[in-house]
This record gives sequence, C-alpha cells and structure tokens, in this order.
Amino acid sequence: MNTSDVVIIGAGAIGSAAAYYLAKRGLSVTVLEKGACVGGGGSSRNGGGVRQSGRHSAELPLAMYGVKNLWPGLSDELGMDIEYYQEGNLRLGKTEAHMKILQGLTDSCAAGGLDMCLIDQKQAREICPYLSEDVIGAGWCPTDGHANPMLVTLAYYRAARRLGARYITGAEVTRLRKLRGRVSEVVTADGEVYSAGSIAVVAGYDSRKLLASVGLDIPMSPILMECIVTEEAPHMFWQMLGTAMADFYGHQSKHGSFVFGGAHGYEPYAAYDGGTRGASISVPSTCRAIIGYFPVLRGLKIVRSWAGWLDDCADHIPVMDNPRETPGLTIGCGFSGHGFGISPVAGALLADLASGETPTLDVSKFRYDRFRAKI
Amino acid sequence: MNMSVDRTRDFGEYVPAPDDDIIICRCEEVTKGEIRRAVRDGMFNVHEVRRFLRCGMGLCQGQTCARLVRTLIARELGVPPGVLDEATGRAPARPTEMYVFANEKMEGI
Amino acid sequence: MTRYDLIVVGAGPAGLSAAAEAAAAGMRTAVFDENLKPGGQLFKQIHKFFGSKEHKAKIRGMNIGAELLGEAERLGVEVFLSSPVMGLYKDREVLVRQGDGVCRYKGDAVIVATGASENMLTFPGWTLPGVMGAGAAQTMMNVNRVRPGDRVLMLGSGNVGLVVGFQLLQAGCSLAAVVDAAPRVGGYGVHAAKLARTGVPFYLSHTIVRAEGTDRVTGVVIGEVDGKWNVISGTEKRFEADTICIAVGLSSSTQLLKMAGCEMRDDGAGRLPVCADDGETSIPRVYAAGDVSGIEEASSAMLEGRISGAAAAGALGFITGDALLSRKAELEAALESLREGMFAPKNRGKLPDKTDVGLPVSASLLSRGYLGDAEVFEYPGVKRASGLHPVMECTQNIPCDPCRDACPKGCIKVRGGIVSLPELDEAAGCVGCGLCVAACSGQSIFLVNENAGDGGAEVTIPYEFLPLPEKGERGVALSRSGAALCPAEITDVKLLPAYDKTALVTLRVPTALAMKARFWKREASV
Repeated sequence: MNTSDVVIIGAGAIGSAAAYYLAKRGLSVTVLEKGACVGGGGSSRNGGGVRQSGRHSAELPLAMYGVKNLWPGLSDELGMDIEYYQEGNLRLGKTEAHMKILQGLTDSCAAGGLDMCLIDQKQAREICPYLSEDVIGAGWCPTDGHANPMLVTLAYYRAARRLGARYITGAEVTRLRKLRGRVSEVVTADGEVYSAGSIAVVAGYDSRKLLASVGLDIPMSPILMECIVTEEAPHMFWQMLGTAMADFYGHQSKHGSFVFGGAHGYEPYAAYDGGTRGASISVPSTCRAIIGYFPVLRGLKIVRSWAGWLDDCADHIPVMDNPRETPGLTIGCGFSGHGFGISPVAGALLADLASGETPTLDVSKFRYDRFRAKI
Repeated sequence: MNMSVDRTRDFGEYVPAPDDDIIICRCEEVTKGEIRRAVRDGMFNVHEVRRFLRCGMGLCQGQTCARLVRTLIARELGVPPGVLDEATGRAPARPTEMYVFANEKMEGI
Repeated sequence: MTRYDLIVVGAGPAGLSAAAEAAAAGMRTAVFDENLKPGGQLFKQIHKFFGSKEHKAKIRGMNIGAELLGEAERLGVEVFLSSPVMGLYKDREVLVRQGDGVCRYKGDAVIVATGASENMLTFPGWTLPGVMGAGAAQTMMNVNRVRPGDRVLMLGSGNVGLVVGFQLLQAGCSLAAVVDAAPRVGGYGVHAAKLARTGVPFYLSHTIVRAEGTDRVTGVVIGEVDGKWNVISGTEKRFEADTICIAVGLSSSTQLLKMAGCEMRDDGAGRLPVCADDGETSIPRVYAAGDVSGIEEASSAMLEGRISGAAAAGALGFITGDALLSRKAELEAALESLREGMFAPKNRGKLPDKTDVGLPVSASLLSRGYLGDAEVFEYPGVKRASGLHPVMECTQNIPCDPCRDACPKGCIKVRGGIVSLPELDEAAGCVGCGLCVAACSGQSIFLVNENAGDGGAEVTIPYEFLPLPEKGERGVALSRSGAALCPAEITDVKLLPAYDKTALVTLRVPTALAMKARFWKREASV
C-alpha cells in the first residue's frame, strides 16, 4: 500500500533530515526521489560549510540553533562520522574595499548575536599560517565549521531507513493532487500514486514544477555552481574559508583532500537541464582564486570537479511553510545555495510543519506568500 | 528516466566472506567487506558507495577499481552489473596541478 | 579560441587513422595525446598483425604505427603530444593541458579515440609489487626496455595474455604457466601454440588462489575451479614466480564521452557510447572510434578511425556525393571482413567447435594450447608430401590471409573468404623460399622435407628469439607440447630482409619426427 503519514518529495540533505526526524517521532514516512541517488543533487555538491557568519538575518537564528543544538551531536545521533569540525570560519580580505564588506557582514551578524569579529593580518595568520601575505584581514567566526556533504545526507538517509522510512529512488513525481480541498496524493511518472496525510515538497528547483500542479509558485531561478576536489594532502588547517569577494570558498576534509567552490561570474546564464556538466572556464577560474589566497596549494593536483544546481530564491532565503491555501502541503525549497549548513535544523522544522507541530523556531519569515511587488 | 528502486529491503544476516578484508580500492584502501556492508546499509549504487566509502575517488580516479566495485555492489544486490550506472565522467580526465589550471592560455600553443 | 575542422583525442591506431583520413579530405585537423610518443598501443606491438593486405597484415604493429604517423604528418595533421585532454565540454570544446598551462580548443567535429584500460582481478596478494597488467608489462618491455621480472605467471589466455606471454619469453623471462578460469583458451590457437611449443604449460579452468610474498611476489598458488568459479580444494598448485601478469580484458576509456553527456549503453561488462555505424555518438559530430567504442583490436580500430574521419569530412562538406559513398563502402567492407570468423565480436561468448567447413576445432589446442600430433592431419594446410613443402598448422577461422600472397609459386590457396583455412597445392611446387613461414603472423607455417637424405628430415621453423642459433649448433628438438623429442642440429639459419626479422631456422631430425618437431632449444636451456 502506498499510504503513509508523510510523503517527502526529494531525498536531499533537508528532505532526508526531515524524514529522519519524522520517523523518529514514530510516523510512517515515504521519500520519493527522482534521481537514482539519495543526495544526488546540491546536497552532495557543495563546499560543506556549516556557517552562521554571513547569513541573512532571517536565517541566522536557524544557523545558530543548528550549530548549538544539532551539529555537534549529529555523528553520535546518526551513528556515523559526518566529519563535523567546528574550528571557525575565516572570510578573507585583500583590499580596503574587501575589509569594508567584511565590516558590514560582521556588524550585521553581531547585531544578530553572533560571535563574529574582524581580525587583522597577524591574527588571521596565527589562525591559519598558510595564508598569502596579500590577505590583510578577515572576518572571523570561531563557532563556524564544516562537515562532509557526501556523508551528511547519506547518514540521515541511513538512519531514517533504519527507523523504517521507505525510500524510493527513480520515482519522479510529476504532480500533486488536491482531493476534497486537501493536498493528499502525489503521482509519479510511471503512474504510481502515493497518498499521505501530509506531503512535503523538498525538491530544490524542481519544487517549482511540482508546486505549479496545485497552483503555487515561488520566484526562484536555477544556478549552476561548481566545486573542485584536490588530491589528499597532509593536514594543514581545519577552518572553513570564504572571501569578501566570494571568489572561492571551501575547506580541507578529514581525508586530506581540499574541497573548494568558486565562481567565474557567468553562473546564472547556464541553461537549466538538470545535468551536472560544468563549464570549461570554471576550474581555471577557481584555481586562480585559491592560489591568490593560498599560494602554498598551487602544486596540489585537482582530481575531480563537479557541478550542481542551486535554487536561488528572489530574496535569497528559503521558503518553509504550510500555505494556508493548500492544506496538507509543506514546502521546503529555495535554500539559495546555503542550505547545507542549516540542513539539520531545516529538516527538523519541516518535520514540525509536516506533522502539525508548532515549529521549534519562528518560521514566519519563510512564508511562501511573502513575495510582493516592489512598488 | 531512472529505474524505480524501493530501498526497503531485508538482506538477511551478513555472512562474512573469507576474503572480506581484501583491498578493492587501492588508492583509498577500501575493502571488499566494507563495500558489501555499505550496500546493506542502503548504498544501492556506485555513486552512493563512492560517497560513503570514497572508493574510486583517489588519484587513479577509479581506473583500477571501478569495475570491481560495480561488480561487488551488483552481486550484493543480486542484479547484473549492467543495470548499475557507472561513476560520472568528470573533468579533469587526468589529475592536474592547480597552477596549471590557473594558467589559462587564451590561444593554443 | 583556436578552432579546427576536426579535433581528435588520442594518437593511437584509431585516432591517427581518423586524422589522416580527415586531413586527406582537406580538414584542418589536430590530434591531442597525453603521451610523450604517438601511436598509442601500436608501438609496443612488436608482433606481426593479422588480416589482409588492406589491413596491413604481416606488418609489425610498431611499423604500422610509424607508417600511420608519417601519413598523418605528410597530410598536415598537427599532432600535439604531452597534451592530455582534461574535459570535453559543450559546443565540442576541449580543455587541454599543454606545458604549464591549459588551452581551450574547439572542433567542428570531435573524434574521441581514447582507447581502453586493463581490467584487474583481486586475489589475496593482488596489491603486492610484481602483480601487474599484461599490457603494463608489455609497455615496460617494449617501450621502456625494462624487463618486468624473471619468472612470470600469466593469468588470461586471450590474445593479450598469449601475445604478451610470448613477448616476455622474447625479452628473456621464463613463463611459469598460462592460467585461465575459462575451460578453453580465449585467444587465437596459433598464439597459444607458439607458447606451448616452447614448453609453457596451460592451466585452463584454473585461477589464482593467492600471490605469495611479503614485500613482493615470490610465488603464486593456483587452483582448479568448478562450474561456479569456486576453487576446488585439493587442486592447488604452487609456482615460483616474481611477476604475475593479469590479462583479463579491457574496459573502454569512456570518461570524456560520459563527461560530454553522450548517451551510453551497457554491454554487460561496462558502459559504451551509443554510436551510429560511422561512430557518431548521440551528440552531433562527436564520434567514438577504436576501443573506446567497444573492445576489438588495432586493425579494426584503424578502420573505425578512418570511417569516423570520413564521416566527419562528409558531415562538414569536405567530401561529398559518390566520393563519400564509395570511400565509406570501401572502409566498411574492410572492417566487416575483419569481423568475420569464430573470434568475431558477434560470436563472443559462443563456443564454436567446428570450423566454417565443418572441421572439428582441436580440443587439445583449446585446453592445452597445442594440436595433437595425429589430429593435425585433419586440416587442409597439413599434408604429407614428398620433398620440401609448407605445413600450415592453421586450424581456426581467423581473419588472416597473407600466406596466400606470400608464396611466389602459388602453393597456398585460401578458398573462400579471409577467415578460410589455407590449403596446400602440391602441384605448384614449393621452392623453399620460406616467405610463407615469415609471413604467417601466427607462426604456424613450417617447411618440412621428410626426405632430406641419410634417412633424416629437415624442419624449418619461424624463430624470433635472440641470440639466433648458428648453423651446426646442436640442441634439442621440441614437440608441439614443448616436450624434448631428440637431439637436433641446426642445418640452416636464414634471415632475409623480406622475412622482417623472423628468422627461419632449419633443424635436422629423424624422418619419423618430421611431423612432430616444431621448436628447438639449446641443450643448456633444456
């Protein structure tokens, strides 16, 4: 029987976290994933940052809650090492203009109660001695960190599966069905129908197409971002890295390889095909950025690059909501490229929403109907 | 369209094989037993097993073990290897230093 | 960005052939290859190739490579070496490492000819130094001039295992055994026979149980397998060996094609690109040629390359109309003829036990690597005749016929197609020139004179080991199975330029052994 308490569409980090927290409450959960893989989308295609710094003021409380309450015990809770390291985030600057950007970020984060500060070159090099001398200062948040994106989704999936969550991959949902006023069924491309008291759409950019079937739309666009991975190197530092310019970000993994993301500037113009093929200009551009901050890494070999789509919302923060006009439906999408770091808390909040509980944190800023005309 | 796979599955008790400790992925030192257990832990395809254990993600980029890993996963699942996707082809086709990539020549030599 | 009419990835047999074909049609063509030297696997193929004249039969692979490279260069193909292609992107763009940087190029057509890599097999000890792919051993010997070891066990009796096994002997290694889990020899019988007559034992239905050694291979244990590929306990046999070569097949190197998004299919062993007959993938004007589109051998790779080269030239208007059609037809016919016979791709997995004319395939050849002394007479190339005559121990339908053209007197007939067995025409009158012996890529033609005077016989064998025996040197004649038969004196050693480095060594044996003696060894080495 294809009936369960909750159907979740999308087996990414957030969908799987929600599945886990729902299963933990004793609810029956079915997770439907279009792809052949669990976590095959942006969830395993990101830089692994678990940052609070640099967050939008609406997202900051979520990030801080996750870092305080969920991330530190996650490996124990899920029964496998998700390689979470809380050794701080350095956001690097090379020019006075950069420092101005960093000052702004620091001020807004501090206003939200985050322990972020601005540090000078000497302090930055004490934290990470491998920095280029061109780096003149940094924004520093000691409670930020990183985790392994390849493992987090799989860990949630593995734990949810052990609790009895039913995962079906290769199940492409084509539409939601509203019956007697309530969203209560989903239909897949091969004609299977799954019904549930509660249906959660956590499908990245593809959520848009699904929501359209019940007359909802969220203004977001797909952006193709790329990452590179280096060969294994002796361990050098544990900090998460970013820059004022946002020209690269990343960290060294437990394994010893470095995982870096970058941007060449033309990302928003890639034609959306759902595929994961990158552009030829991407790896060179990211490498130039990295070497600019870490010349010591110039001889490391790149072994892989990959690309993934992020779902960039018009205001760059997600939608997490039970729209009043579609009872039975929970939306979790539009994480705009910074969903991984808040995936445990987002999953927990969506589990609250999907099970009719009052959310642990205020989610009113993530309402689906917040998008209004400018004038 | 991807083949629909229900991940709910009872594999029964794990029966250790005498050669479970044999190394399959030399670069990342992943054993046969680890791969077999990963499948039972829900890693039902090459991509998930790679992410879970790193096999095929080392310097040789899976050139040696890709086929071995795929065969092992298929055997554990009881399916022909051919139904399992291979690892995605990704640039660079050969591991290459960052400084080389950084030095992008606009016209060929 | 630099743009070419055609970009070819890989300067092996398929890639160079594709480039030459395209350049001949007037295309501005670049070939990128990651290696220091062009030719792919061709330059390590020191043996003579099979096929017909049009396939460059009886020419050694390395010489075919040199010829092909010369042709490409004469036609103005730009061959970039030490230039690994990092990625194949949209709009047929490649990112290539060149020197200390990367360059981007676009082609109006791209032919991917990246070949294949060796499969591995695991057994306890497989990661010990001394365990290597047979192709790797071949590269060490024939390209880098390094002997991979002293005593080698070969796992795999396909053509790669058999050919490399023979080359290991040529390099001065000894071969402990050829082992294969299959119940029959996978490669050409003539290749197996070359090894067996030197005394190499074959163990079919056997596999490696373990490699011994702590910091490198010092020995290897094999065992017989049952129908489910499990080793039958009690059947273990141990060999001294410092090297284990693995020849268990190849996998197509499809990484660039997958990266580009070409549609793939599965042939049961791995993913291959979905290609049209001319090699075009699901991406317009991106072609796959040679082993990357499915494992065959160098001769067919060269034709596939030419077909893709011609197709690209056609697609971009460099050849048109009848010229295009007739060239394509010519190349496709040549490729088809190579794909005939019992080893044809279409017959893979089948176990033919009869030749095309209904002769039984030798069970001894398939299980032990050599023909039985009695059964050899069942084949049309083997006849007792008075005086000097060729004995052609060619018993399988292999696409190969240079023996027919080699004989200036017309002694050798190949009725039917390229895969038919040769027959002796006694009436034509053999003059003993030996050209057929040297021309046979399988080294399965011998000259026999059962009445060489004084109650003795003379047997002339192809011989490719150094140092060559000297006239008058005494040694031992060996049978097809490599067993010592009798003392034998060398009565002649010939090495004409036309023999292309295959020496013809004549030994004198008692007449009764004339149809048994097929190899010769120095006494000291017996």
